[in-house]
Amino acid sequence: MTSKLQSTLAISAFALLASATSASAQVTVEFWHSFGGSSGEALAQIIENFEAANPDITIEAEHVGNYEDIVTQLQAAIPAGREPDAVIMEVTRYGLFAERGILTDLTAYLEADPLRDELYDFAREIGVYNGKNYIIPFNSSTPVVYYNKDIFDRAGFAEEPSLETFDDILAAAQQITDELGDEGVFGIAAPGQFARWGLVMSNDSNLIDPQSGEVLLDAPNTIEAYEWMASLVHEHEVASVDNVTDEDTGGDAFLAGRVGINFASTGNYGSAREALGENLVVRPMPCNKVCSVPIGGAGIGILESADQDVKDAAYQFMSFAANPESNAIWFSATGYMPINRSTAEQPLAADALESKPGIDVAINQLDFAQGRPRPPVVTWMRSSEYDLWQAMALGQRTVEDTLTEFAARTRDEADRLAR
Amino acid sequence: MLRKLTPYLLALPLMAFIAVFTYIPILTSLDLSFREWDFMSPDRPFVGLDNYTQLLNTHEFWNALRVTALFAVISVPIRLLLAIGIASFLVRETAASRLLRGALFLPSVTSTVSIAVVFSWVFATDYGMANALLSLFGLPKITWLQSPTLALWVIIIVNTWKQLGYDIIIYIAGLQAVPTELYDAAAVDGGRRFHVFRRITVPLVMPTTYFLLVVSVIEAFQIFTIVDVMTQGGPAGSTNMLVNMLYRIGFTLFDIGQGSALAVMLFVLLIVLAVIKSRVLGRKVHYEA
Repeated sequence: MTSKLQSTLAISAFALLASATSASAQVTVEFWHSFGGSSGEALAQIIENFEAANPDITIEAEHVGNYEDIVTQLQAAIPAGREPDAVIMEVTRYGLFAERGILTDLTAYLEADPLRDELYDFAREIGVYNGKNYIIPFNSSTPVVYYNKDIFDRAGFAEEPSLETFDDILAAAQQITDELGDEGVFGIAAPGQFARWGLVMSNDSNLIDPQSGEVLLDAPNTIEAYEWMASLVHEHEVASVDNVTDEDTGGDAFLAGRVGINFASTGNYGSAREALGENLVVRPMPCNKVCSVPIGGAGIGILESADQDVKDAAYQFMSFAANPESNAIWFSATGYMPINRSTAEQPLAADALESKPGIDVAINQLDFAQGRPRPPVVTWMRSSEYDLWQAMALGQRTVEDTLTEFAARTRDEADRLAR
Repeated sequence: MLRKLTPYLLALPLMAFIAVFTYIPILTSLDLSFREWDFMSPDRPFVGLDNYTQLLNTHEFWNALRVTALFAVISVPIRLLLAIGIASFLVRETAASRLLRGALFLPSVTSTVSIAVVFSWVFATDYGMANALLSLFGLPKITWLQSPTLALWVIIIVNTWKQLGYDIIIYIAGLQAVPTELYDAAAVDGGRRFHVFRRITVPLVMPTTYFLLVVSVIEAFQIFTIVDVMTQGGPAGSTNMLVNMLYRIGFTLFDIGQGSALAVMLFVLLIVLAVIKSRVLGRKVHYEA
């Protein structure tokens, strides 16, 4: 009896100890991201797969808003000590956080990870700041031209018009507005900020030189591109003024079949396809003076404040999210570009390439895609650009004066941040 | 000894709450206004009055001050006039007036973000309901939120719609406290309705008016959500209020020092306005019939 009791007690003690050990080995990673809707569902699927493969790690994912909301919430959370362990950061906005020592240097992690060689060069490059890796790519994109075939047909296009230059795009938008304006249909949505950057690049310029960091907001080709974009709204009236004061309305109106042409990220492919079905056509961005598109999207970074075991677990998740299987789930659901060389071989991705026309346009643009600069001033510049774009697009200020003044302010701000 | 301490001990939790959530943040903000900080750097160097002088030298600050003052000067009188007028009709205890009071109060307890989003759709130029209605009468589209002149008026309309119910309820409470004998006496003397309103009602609800004036001016200078959702301060800064500017400087441009300096200036401005209101109007307020 006594020996039975002793055995029972010993087994109980072992079980208790084992459960305590197992409990202490369980690691939870708090992860902030910016994906809702079908993108959020795809991310949830990836997290579920990861947790099934790594039962000792829990990913507590939280959708905290868009890229800008994440930056705002992160900077409020840091002094309060309530920052997450891992966070999605847009590719031009993480430089400031890397510079201030908020993000963990992931170079050693990536060097030891076979993922390093699996990633496309463009994808690996977006995580590098001052020679070190701070984010691991997750969702990469370029802007593309979406158009609604039904609207084009109704506007009288017997065959697809050329959409290669600014003049081509304007002519198509003008015809749609002339033919269907009475039905409340606009030719084009006023370009959002990512597309504006792309259109400046296709006019052989940039906002900031990626190599030298020189501010190019007042370069003649930048001014020319902005003049064209602003003229779509206030001069030619082929784009709604509502898209200028609320950029989301342009994309919404396109999905609702009220706009013919929309420049947007390839990450919008999933929702656009869902809304327009077979009427959705995807084309490359115009090559007005040169063929050049910006690489957008985001990667996942780890906060320096996280404990080492949490950092390790977070990196395991980031690496898993960028592997071919996960990346295929992500690519086929959203339209964001594959970042892993083996993604296209996955059945899901191969099926998407076969059955979803236009999903490969962004991939084909990679030949002339460029990473964008990410010095600390970019966050300030992008936040400030919205107001100025409004003033230019609504015809309240001349483009040249506005951009000349903006360039000077951006240079001052860059100097201030560098001090 | 314990008897003497008891009142202080009972008040202590509330005092601690107010200190932690009101006075310490105010003092911290004051301290930060003399420093340069971006939320992330471990250092917060003392920069004296630099943040204040930089703010005072920007066009954006003076524009935001002008726009906020204009918003307050226009919207507060409109709110108070409409509220007292409507309240004088709804003060009677009838089923219809009770229903209307509830209906008018609803926007006050509705989420400001929801209201702003809905009105963004209503006032959208090409897709909005307001212009759709105008087009039924053959009238041209109006660029409600894109015109620097009209955008502020739209904000005033939406804010008035949201806040009016609260003002009306407070006025009804004030009107119900007016002794009915005074109205009876005025009726015996053959007083006309407007004269009774001007000579009896208005002076006797002065404490209510004074209270609403103080509260609504503070609210007007602190307006943020409606502007942030509907216009983000645009177009061309025509609806850029002080608090929206503060948010932008502090939480978008990472300049906590300058954002705090603006918060301190707004705080001082509101105190000065309260003192002026007290000096000018306080004497005219009588709390006895």
